[in-house]
Amino acid sequence: MSSTSLGGLLRRPEAGAALGLIAVLIFFAFFGGVTFLKPAGMASWLNVAANLGVIAIPLGLLMIAGELDISVGAMVPFGAMTVAVVSGHYDMPIWLGVAMALSFGVIVGLVNGILVVKTAVPSLIVTLGSLFAVQGVVLGLTVLITKSTSVALSVEGPAKAMFGDFLFGGQLQVMALWWLGLTALYIFFVHFSPFGNWIFAMGGDKVSARNAGIPTDRLTIILFVLSATSAAFVGMSQAILYNSAQVAGGQSFIFNAIISVVVGGVLLTGGFGSVVGIFFGTITFAIVTQGIYYTDFDRNWSSLIIGVLLLGAVLMNNTFRKMALSATTKKKGAKA
Amino acid sequence: MAFLKSMAKALATTALVAAGSAAMAADIAVVGGSNDDAFWNIIKKGIDDATPAVEANGGTVTYLRLVNYDNFAPDVVQLIRTAISMEVDGLVIPNWVPEAEDPAIKDAMAAGIKVILMNAGGADKATELGAINYVGSDEYVAGVAGGEYFAGAGQKNVLCINTLPGTANIEARCKGVIDGVTGKGGKGAQLPLPSTSFGDATAVAEAIKAELLKDETIDGVITISAGDADSAAIAVEQAGKTGATKLGSFDMNQAGLDRIKAGTQAFAIDQQPYLQSYLAVSLLASSIDFGTDLPVFPVLTGPGIVDASNIDATLAGVKLGAR
Amino acid sequence: MTAPILALRGVNKSFGPIDVLHDITLEVKPGEVLCLLGDNGAGKSTLIKIMSGVHQPSSGVIEMDGQPVSFPTPRVAAEAGISTVHQFGGTFPLMSIGRSFFVGVEPTKGWGPFRVYDRKRANAIAVKAVQDMGITRITDGDRLVGGLSGGERQSLAIARAVHFGARVLILDEPTAALGVKQATHVLRIVNEAKRRGLAVIFITHQVMHAMAVGDHFAVLIRGAVAADFKKGEKTREEITDLMAGGASMASLEAEIEGYMASHNGHPPPPAA
Repeated sequence: MSSTSLGGLLRRPEAGAALGLIAVLIFFAFFGGVTFLKPAGMASWLNVAANLGVIAIPLGLLMIAGELDISVGAMVPFGAMTVAVVSGHYDMPIWLGVAMALSFGVIVGLVNGILVVKTAVPSLIVTLGSLFAVQGVVLGLTVLITKSTSVALSVEGPAKAMFGDFLFGGQLQVMALWWLGLTALYIFFVHFSPFGNWIFAMGGDKVSARNAGIPTDRLTIILFVLSATSAAFVGMSQAILYNSAQVAGGQSFIFNAIISVVVGGVLLTGGFGSVVGIFFGTITFAIVTQGIYYTDFDRNWSSLIIGVLLLGAVLMNNTFRKMALSATTKKKGAKA
Repeated sequence: MAFLKSMAKALATTALVAAGSAAMAADIAVVGGSNDDAFWNIIKKGIDDATPAVEANGGTVTYLRLVNYDNFAPDVVQLIRTAISMEVDGLVIPNWVPEAEDPAIKDAMAAGIKVILMNAGGADKATELGAINYVGSDEYVAGVAGGEYFAGAGQKNVLCINTLPGTANIEARCKGVIDGVTGKGGKGAQLPLPSTSFGDATAVAEAIKAELLKDETIDGVITISAGDADSAAIAVEQAGKTGATKLGSFDMNQAGLDRIKAGTQAFAIDQQPYLQSYLAVSLLASSIDFGTDLPVFPVLTGPGIVDASNIDATLAGVKLGAR
Repeated sequence: MTAPILALRGVNKSFGPIDVLHDITLEVKPGEVLCLLGDNGAGKSTLIKIMSGVHQPSSGVIEMDGQPVSFPTPRVAAEAGISTVHQFGGTFPLMSIGRSFFVGVEPTKGWGPFRVYDRKRANAIAVKAVQDMGITRITDGDRLVGGLSGGERQSLAIARAVHFGARVLILDEPTAALGVKQATHVLRIVNEAKRRGLAVIFITHQVMHAMAVGDHFAVLIRGAVAADFKKGEKTREEITDLMAGGASMASLEAEIEGYMASHNGHPPPPAA
């Protein structure tokens, strides 16, 4: 009834994130000038947002469900290195490399999920363990097979166009299409399908959720698989795009994805948030970190500016969420 | 009586010889960076290749490596102290953070450990600390070589991409590049990237692209690591500057060498890490075992510029993990 | 003579060497409120857990409609019509009223993996259910549950249980954290549930509330039923005495009186 009113709109979990996005867009349009607003400039942050966003959404869903997955930091190089070693070093068909990279994502996700569900160990610790384990595997196997920590890869044809190229020879990576498509799917399943409600229930009160008949174990495992596979997918695509894979790297995705998710209005304690919010939060983060290069600010202050802007965005979210929780209906006549 | 005397003499001589060989065996500790770093992997090959010679003379080589760079200076000092407690005869140490490491290095020398500086530190520091030599490249000198290469190729405005701002030796690289190019009449600047972009190829590429779009006069880009050059190559292409803008990198990887062969990258500056560790370990062991002293001071292993003129020989070395 | 919906006969529960419940025999009939009184540690929460399927009795029988049953999981108990409303949980404060009402059993449109959650229908049903129970202030199913008062949240939870066909409603300390006015709302809803023919088991340690709605009372002391009586058979003071282990309370009161008298009302001097 009131969700179409302004008050109703402002109480949605996306409200704070949307306003934050508009604010930073204006900020950098002002300081970055015309170059920031041209297609090449917009593509800068869209590209960064696309790669980050594909990982941030399942990570955010896990956080809504009350879990955390930091192994994504190792899954990105794992995906990259798998496709590079298989299709670069060993010169096998690219589709085999792609299939293997994604399969490893599924396997690690299954391991993470099953360990979290079957043992009482918190997901932070389980995925910390898999973070190190996967890093070790990537390093060990890569050095063993290729005697180096950086592997070159050269891809032509449909695989390149699908995963690691620029659209129409332009500025926007094809990952942006993947990101938008996946976001649309996530929005449907989380906000319009009953499964999404189950994720919120799990994050709000897992025991009650289970008692209400929700298959919490299965859902948790599915989310971990999505998260690990998405990270492997991004790594794989980057390797195809940049023609090489490094053993190190990918760590920044952990932190950046969590920041995007929190700026997007998801509560660290779980049970609240939205996919649209995460989408806006990712874009906000990308604009803040990339917009600086279009301005004349001294680059040494980049980190400070990033920190201040992100803090502002999170505080705005907090305010809106409090408003949403404290909104009361108007009293009709005498008090009930 | 005479028999006993000669017996005693024989025993004494044997003991002396045994003690002597023990004194001549060089137990060496090498401190280095983490192995998921392409660079330190090549260093490890140098160590591994020098080890058989050390062992043939009765010594040992232990590689003490940093697990990660998150708590850099304290971790390095801890490794030096570990070496001291292991009572090694020799220490191969990069002097990355002088303020933190110098006291520990001096303690090592006071404990009778011979020290050789490798990879970071420079000749002056080696003299100051009393190390027997410095084997490595001089970051600044390497940077200057890079800057001069750009100038020699006719480039006038060079941007040095620094994804590790604040680290002394990396800052020296970019400073060298800028001085090298300005010395020959051009101009140069450094682009420091914040930690949020570290390891994210797209973030680095987009940042470089933005700078190129913002300043149309930039015609030279150099990155402080080989991995960053992969991103820079895409950035240059996206900004529509391939050909007009020349790309160089510090250190090399397979993709970079492929680009040099294909002509889309101009050069790579190789500090030849294999030689650094191989020579450092060998020189130190030799000094401990046999008292040798090399008059060449410092021993510079770089900069070795790899460009179209020597790409094939280099490629062969990369295949063997030595470059 | 209506048969009891739910009955416990000779139920014992031990956790290892610790005996928590001894020989519990209770029954509750439809349309009746059984108040389970007892101080903290008396075993009330273990008893609820046995009735709702979280634990199994170590010995003894649970009967529903006169037939022996067992509840190996909470799901089985819920399907049999036993609904538990806890003091703080189960209402998902960060969800909207409609979603929280239908958690796990969301109404949908369409079929297959692409079924869509029917928000309008869920909100309409949830709001109607709550209003039918007498809470008229809740009109918007999209409002977050956390924005409701404590009493409204309890009411929502009870309305949900009633809507989904609960036959036995177990309320675990529903008024403990509420102020007087809100507690009155909840008690009114309990009466409404009773009126609709549910059996209500009302667990509390607040005698006043219990006396407002209870038809039948049982006092638990240290895991055993110490008293079992109908409304009107005992006074409030008698019940409080029973619950607080009246004898020790009375002797403490006597001790204090005696001390104050002999020391002219002054507190004891501090230890030297």
